[in-house]
Amino acid sequence: MADRRIKVIIAKPGLDGHDRGAKVVARALVEAGMEVVYLGLQQTPESIVRAAVDEDADVVGLSILSGAHMPHFRKVRELMVKSGLGNRLLTGGGIIPTKDQGKLKELGIERVFGPGDDLQEIVDYIRNKAGRARKE
Amino acid sequence: MVSSAGRTKAPSGLSKRPGRLIPPELWADFFRGERLACARLVTAVENSPESIPEILDKIIPRLKGAVRVGVTGPPGVGKSTVTAGLARRAVQAGHSVGVLAVDPTSPFSGGAFLGDRVRMQSLSDDHHVFIRSLASREGHGGLSPSTPYAADVLDAFGLDRIYIETVGVGQAELDVLSCSDLVILVLQPGTGDVIQALKAGILEAADLFLINKADLQGTEALLDSLRFLMDVSASQKRRSLPPVLKASALLDKGMDETAAEVERLIQRLVHSGLYREKRRSRLEREIRAAIAQDLWDKFSALAGADEAIRDVSEELLNSMGSPYPFIRETCSRIRVELAAERIGREGKE
Amino acid sequence: MKEKNRTSWEKSFERSGLRDADFSTISGRPLRPLYTWEDMAEIDPRTELGYPGEYPYTRGVHPSMFRGKLWTMRQFAGMGTAIQTNQRYKFLLEKGQTGLSVAFDNPTLYGLDSDHALSAGEVGKTGVAVDTLADMERLFDGIPLDRVSTSMTINAPAAWIFAMFLANAEKRGISFAELRGTLQNDILKEYIAQKEWIFPPEPHLRLITDLMSFCADQVPQWNTISISGYHIREAGSTAAQELAFTLADGFAYVEHAIAAGQDVDDFAPRLSFFFNAHLDFFEEIAKLRAARRIWARAMRDKYKAKNPRSWLCRFHVQTAGCSLTAQQPEINIVRTALEAMAGVLGGCQSLHTNSMDEALALPSEKAVEIALRTQQIIAFESGAANVIDPLGGSYYIEQLTNDLEEEAGRYFRKIDELGGVVKAIEQGFFQREITRAAYEYEMALSRRKKFHVGVNEFINPSEKLEIPLLEIDESVEREQLDFMRRIKAGRDNGAVRDGLGTLTAAAAAGRNLMPPLLECARRYTTLGEISEALTTVFGEYREQPFY
Repeated sequence: MADRRIKVIIAKPGLDGHDRGAKVVARALVEAGMEVVYLGLQQTPESIVRAAVDEDADVVGLSILSGAHMPHFRKVRELMVKSGLGNRLLTGGGIIPTKDQGKLKELGIERVFGPGDDLQEIVDYIRNKAGRARKE
Repeated sequence: MVSSAGRTKAPSGLSKRPGRLIPPELWADFFRGERLACARLVTAVENSPESIPEILDKIIPRLKGAVRVGVTGPPGVGKSTVTAGLARRAVQAGHSVGVLAVDPTSPFSGGAFLGDRVRMQSLSDDHHVFIRSLASREGHGGLSPSTPYAADVLDAFGLDRIYIETVGVGQAELDVLSCSDLVILVLQPGTGDVIQALKAGILEAADLFLINKADLQGTEALLDSLRFLMDVSASQKRRSLPPVLKASALLDKGMDETAAEVERLIQRLVHSGLYREKRRSRLEREIRAAIAQDLWDKFSALAGADEAIRDVSEELLNSMGSPYPFIRETCSRIRVELAAERIGREGKE
Repeated sequence: MKEKNRTSWEKSFERSGLRDADFSTISGRPLRPLYTWEDMAEIDPRTELGYPGEYPYTRGVHPSMFRGKLWTMRQFAGMGTAIQTNQRYKFLLEKGQTGLSVAFDNPTLYGLDSDHALSAGEVGKTGVAVDTLADMERLFDGIPLDRVSTSMTINAPAAWIFAMFLANAEKRGISFAELRGTLQNDILKEYIAQKEWIFPPEPHLRLITDLMSFCADQVPQWNTISISGYHIREAGSTAAQELAFTLADGFAYVEHAIAAGQDVDDFAPRLSFFFNAHLDFFEEIAKLRAARRIWARAMRDKYKAKNPRSWLCRFHVQTAGCSLTAQQPEINIVRTALEAMAGVLGGCQSLHTNSMDEALALPSEKAVEIALRTQQIIAFESGAANVIDPLGGSYYIEQLTNDLEEEAGRYFRKIDELGGVVKAIEQGFFQREITRAAYEYEMALSRRKKFHVGVNEFINPSEKLEIPLLEIDESVEREQLDFMRRIKAGRDNGAVRDGLGTLTAAAAAGRNLMPPLLECARRYTTLGEISEALTTVFGEYREQPFY
């Protein structure tokens, strides 16, 4: 009998120190029954993906409010694919203009969240997509 | 349900040949040394306990004799920082290192906040240590039931020093004894009364006591309490006292000495045959637990078994009777079932 | 409600029926429907309120407040390179702002050069990039630093950014004694909320006291520290936590300076504060009044300061960034206006009003102009500046001011029990309180006990963005890197190395670091070179995270 819990990595790449949103989302996911590895601040794309590999994470969530989302998302996506995690869910949140959300979609990051997005919606999205992201 | 430290529920049908739940490509990747394959096998032992027999069949022949070092102690004493300090030195000494860090599963939500890894950040980045966070799941706050199997996976993968960091509450101290070769009990000053609360057995069984945050006040008082308690139990059991060290892991003080002591204890363990004996005990426990589990599964698979137990208990409350007549009758039914099975088999042969 | 004879109003009120709503402040403080003169019975106006400009300063730090001088209209600004930011400063001054406030980019805030590995993608995105004195020169080109006060929001590397600022003034022939302004320089709140640090607490505290004693001597008009609650509030704290944690930090700095041998009256007059003006109008006004009273009492009675200027809690206010929405951004203008009014009625010395587009980007010219005009409307049209502390004596406001002071007192005792601010930080006390408050607020929004218009109520599902947004071009990073390379090539690198040597020696020997920092700045040493040199002496800080 399988007893799967969804494993999520929450990380803040780069120099942004505003972790209120990341912590709130992490807690909501735990309350929803998921296992959350909170990596915290000043992560590099390399450290994030290494953690995703070791933890065999279903989901990687990046929180970026510094405007540097494009290079960070791009690099994490690239490393995930290279490490064999291309079929896992990469998502995130922060201050990401609509125009850039389109560009992220093209990279395979289907959806990101912003200020004011309902917590329950974020939890549901992750729950629904995490299951399908892995073929097991 | 059978509950022994570190044992997870295996399914019924153990006596049948296990199926192929793990795809062959995954095994190929694993034995080729691919990190993600190792991680995925750990996930399998966590999430799919029915695959454990098949996994063990494949990896036990490939175990390379890794030493499992358990790091336990009350919450907040700095287990993660100590583990990171020891692991880093093990890497520098040429070992391949893995860490299993267990955090408690919330009994309400079933989720878990896995926050040990972040305290060992530089370990993973600089030294390529394999770090895996495990939620305690049904382990009642101690270790996760899959921890010993996860350690076996890391062993077969080629890691030769595996640090197992417990949650630090509940059954933790005892759980870790059963799946570690060596146990370090971490304490901190100012918590003398915590010693009274430690589970009976850990004081006798720990191989090394480490007083962390030794820069704080109260170190001497703690040392005195420890010595007193250990003198008492040593005179009762006639054992030699384990070493007691002081360190301040955050300031990276005293860690060289601690790592050296751990290494010395490991060498003694391996050369004295104690390592082999611990392995044997683990195998014994595994066999006993698996058999008991299988028998139980057989029984509860009998139609109506669960309801029967529930109904009988309700009835016994009303009649104020002893449960033992029911128990005897049930066990006898199991014997009859087993006999019938044997006859059936003999009949077919 | 008082137990004695129920008034006729109470009876009618109970018969009236209530709206289905949550009647607590945004911080979760439950509120009575009415406050009356009976609540005032326990308040002695002579000791609790007094007069403006007189102890305990509840009604204001100056006798004349806005009748004498309006608050400084000081819009926080910075983007891209120093040249772009310089243009924005000139724009703002021309539109009527009365003080400058510098926003630095993330790499600068962390003491990193624009070419550091971690700076990739971040240069100029959330503020101006400053790597050397040359950037300072461009930043303030054509701006009369002897006539305009300058606030700089910088913490971990504040001392060496300030050194560059001083070196620039020196080159322009402006004496240090003429310079007016503020450095944020509040490292304790970084460990608590904003997370921009380099070293562990002790070395940072030492840099702060070095700067304080240097300025007491050479830059006497400079506010050496802006003890901040803004960020603590933005991280999700309640109003009482913002109040208590900020003042507790203040007390910690005072104690540290005294322990370092300084006389309290030498540095205290130049301490200043920085608070948030959040959505709950009355709670914010009460919070600011409580701050003044608490600080005055502590400075006079506990720290025995003799100079009345040491008892003053002077503060800057910024309207709450976290209250802004990305949805229907135009309505942020209304939020900002209400928050700004609360700041004014709370008696702020300077004010920054957010722009409507700041949940989406750095402010566009149009948006920041509206934000500035908001202050001007308050100052020149609304009448709010005509009478000092106009809400003084309001039953509600006085009760709320008292309640906040009391709740802050409970926090002070708790912090003392834990061994002081630094110990409490190490144990994660503040971080956990803030995280919990943030989560509770988020849950309240989710359960629709609290509202955020446009976000969880009154939503426009198909709204389209109709305001222009500022974009920081990717070329900014390349330009800044080129510029820095040219400066490094053109300077005397031998002199730079010597200067760094002198700096590290002084750091190890415990001497005041401002003079060697000033010398490094003059020689065009980069921010990152200084940070690295000091890190070799002080070490790096890695957070033990708390949830």
